[in-house]
Amino acid sequence: MNKKTPPETLVLGIDTGGTYTDGVLLEYNTHQIIAAHKSLTTKRDFSIGIENVIKEIDLEDPSAIQMVSISTTLATNAIAEGKGKRVALFLIGYDPDLINSFDMSKRFATPHYYYIEGGHDLHGQEKSPLDLPDLLEKTKMIKNKVDAIAVSSYFSPRNPEHEIRAQNAIASICDLPIVLGHQLSTLLGSVERATTAALNASLLSMLQEFIIAVRRAMEHRGINAPLMVVRGDGTLMNDEFAARSPVETIHSGPAASAIGGRFLSGEDQALVLDVGGTTTDLALIKDGKVIVSEKGASVSGYQTSVQAANLFSIGLGGDSHINLDRGKEISIGPERVVPLAYLSHQYNNVQDRLKALAKTNWPAPHPRDLEYWFLQQENPELNSFTAKEQQVVEILKPGPKPAIEVLKSLGLLDASQISLNNLWREEVIGKSGFTPTDILHVDGRHTPWDKEASKAALTVFSHYLKLDEDQFQLLFWENVTEIISKAVIHFLTEKEIPARNDSTHDLANWFLDNSLRPEHEQLTTRIILNVPLIGIGAPAQVMLEAVARVFNTDLVLPAHYQVANAAGAVAGSVMVTEEILIYPHMSKGDAEVLGYYLQSRDNRDEIEELEDALTRAKEIAESNALSAALRSGANIPQVNVEVIQDGMDSYRVKARAVGKPRLGG
Amino acid sequence: MNINKVDTQKAYQLLWEKITSLELAPGEILDFASLADEMGFSKTAIREALNLLVHDHLVEAPPRGLYVAELQFSDLEKISTIRLNLETLAAQQAVLNATTDDLVILQALCKEVAVDTQEYFELDQRFHQAIAQAAHNNYLAFTLQRFYGLSKRLWYLALPYLDFLPTAVKSHIKLVDAIRDGNESLAMEIMKNHIEEFYLKIREIIKEKDLIKE
Repeated sequence: MNKKTPPETLVLGIDTGGTYTDGVLLEYNTHQIIAAHKSLTTKRDFSIGIENVIKEIDLEDPSAIQMVSISTTLATNAIAEGKGKRVALFLIGYDPDLINSFDMSKRFATPHYYYIEGGHDLHGQEKSPLDLPDLLEKTKMIKNKVDAIAVSSYFSPRNPEHEIRAQNAIASICDLPIVLGHQLSTLLGSVERATTAALNASLLSMLQEFIIAVRRAMEHRGINAPLMVVRGDGTLMNDEFAARSPVETIHSGPAASAIGGRFLSGEDQALVLDVGGTTTDLALIKDGKVIVSEKGASVSGYQTSVQAANLFSIGLGGDSHINLDRGKEISIGPERVVPLAYLSHQYNNVQDRLKALAKTNWPAPHPRDLEYWFLQQENPELNSFTAKEQQVVEILKPGPKPAIEVLKSLGLLDASQISLNNLWREEVIGKSGFTPTDILHVDGRHTPWDKEASKAALTVFSHYLKLDEDQFQLLFWENVTEIISKAVIHFLTEKEIPARNDSTHDLANWFLDNSLRPEHEQLTTRIILNVPLIGIGAPAQVMLEAVARVFNTDLVLPAHYQVANAAGAVAGSVMVTEEILIYPHMSKGDAEVLGYYLQSRDNRDEIEELEDALTRAKEIAESNALSAALRSGANIPQVNVEVIQDGMDSYRVKARAVGKPRLGG
Repeated sequence: MNINKVDTQKAYQLLWEKITSLELAPGEILDFASLADEMGFSKTAIREALNLLVHDHLVEAPPRGLYVAELQFSDLEKISTIRLNLETLAAQQAVLNATTDDLVILQALCKEVAVDTQEYFELDQRFHQAIAQAAHNNYLAFTLQRFYGLSKRLWYLALPYLDFLPTAVKSHIKLVDAIRDGNESLAMEIMKNHIEEFYLKIREIIKEKDLIKE
């Protein structure tokens, strides 16, 4: 009799990072990785990298794929680079004096914010009537200058009435998309809620376009399956939900990495370090779950109220630029460049010049001579660029040029004398330089490209510092270990690491130094990490072995650790949280309690007795969470209801529905 | 997210706009292969969008092929009769049901100034939608929206010969005042006159210029 093999359940996980877009094809039940694919991220359009992955993934019949799930740095990057759409933010019932006195207006993430009379108080009572004529007057004034509108009303989670009335009125006079604060956050922090609403509004169309592009790429390959997007806390939401709440994708990439690390290694207690091309991201796994930040996600200095994994990120990765700082010390990152080995692999004349430089003894070439600029797009649209920028493009048309030569042709001495921001941002031109990847080419640990170019660059760099090449490499790896180790300590302790020359922290510095590099004859110091390190990302092995030694722990490199981030995108569960706030309805003058309000996202009830109110709230929260989870694509969701006291006589009834994603077409 | 639904919706809106503004002329044959090509949508999306337009009576579907619904003079009479009664009903219901917010919205719309015909259409449409909204009857609002689409073609037909647009705005202001004052009969009368006057002019122009066959 033939043994029947169970049908394979294939799922595709995709992670779009700052440098690479990774894809893995997994068997969902056995966690077995069937195929993996890496392609370069195109920053100006993230969907290109995803289309490549979907196109190239090695599978005869793509229609067998039961789910596609993506984590993306799209939102995080757009915020960091100020590329979101223009937003008008209406602050209803906010106190301008208070906001100004704490200098909080910068935190709103848009320069177009307007104060409107209105808002509620802690008891959900109208603090002041909503000034609708003023709101409409201001809408009329700004509607042709912005792309979306955000509204946040004071204490709107307790009573969203003013936000809803504002939405109806604005929608009557213009067609701009409108985002309401209470729909994104039930927390009472009014500034964070406003920031969250403004950021969400600014990312709305971008995420919609992104999801539509991914959907089209899936369609082209006949993949008719649920599409999920990873949230900042690592849980999943379906594409429709994601298109409405892009802020929830902030930090989704690093969160997926942490989950992928746990998923592939099976370690329930660990520190996950994801070493990418641009950054290294840290996250903590405890009892099998990613630790979530108490404060809510923060990005580029903006504090939001959406839930996200507690993460720490440093600008150090495989393609970080190795440079000299002002004190002629080796600096690594945060800028990411194309490794010289790769540039030389792509273009002919690079290796010869670098070799010639390496042979030049006098005057000794400077490490800055190693920097190259090159054209990234064949026929860029140049109309929006300055004359100088267009000139640079012309100079680079024949092929890559050393940065110093480009500057010389422009009659300049230093790159700081010219602003080429548009060219960098639009990825018209790119930068290449000496990177950790080059050093790996020299020592033979990773050699896909031209190691001769890397060798020559190393020679130039070491000569300039009057070191031999082995000494330089030793010094370099010590530096890498120190940067990552200090990041680990800072992340786990939340304490600032003192500067090296800070004499007030003499002992702390000595302790750190002696633990990283034992120096003292009589005193041995050691920092012991009680959990293993899980390394993720292509450079993880080489960069983290020494770090694990510093912390006297194991480095766990799960199978396929290079693409664990993409595996993490499919490993998460679908989660939906529904909250109901219960708080007293006070009589005039707050003398007595008349009853209790039950405020959910879209509904408001009043019940006389607290006991009944709590019972009712639990029922509603549970059934709302359950149906929302089913709509979001969860399979047999389990609901957990929790009652949290939230100030005097006030309660937060929180229902959390969690389930594995429902697979299939 | 269903890509086909998203595209169908977009294609529907674009085609609705093209037909109601006569860019696609009454009687024009609609070939979905070439429309799909021209507008950059899949054939499926175009086919489904055209089906929706058949329901709107803007596209005709005889046994073979599809074409933009013809405009006949009798349509003008039929459409104007219905709109006259429905809009008057909306005005009456608005007097009975309008909230202070509805009034603020209507007043804000009265203060808007259109700089070109396109904007004027949009503004007029918003105003009538806001009245329907103030009536707080979604079935009424839905029905009015459909007839607005049919009526818009007549309007566009007469457009090159129209010169009375700004006076319509004055009647908007009076109408809002009547709603505010709770004057039911006055509001109904203003709306009735407003619509009547509109169709009267359109009818005159269409006859005079012989814009549609009898």
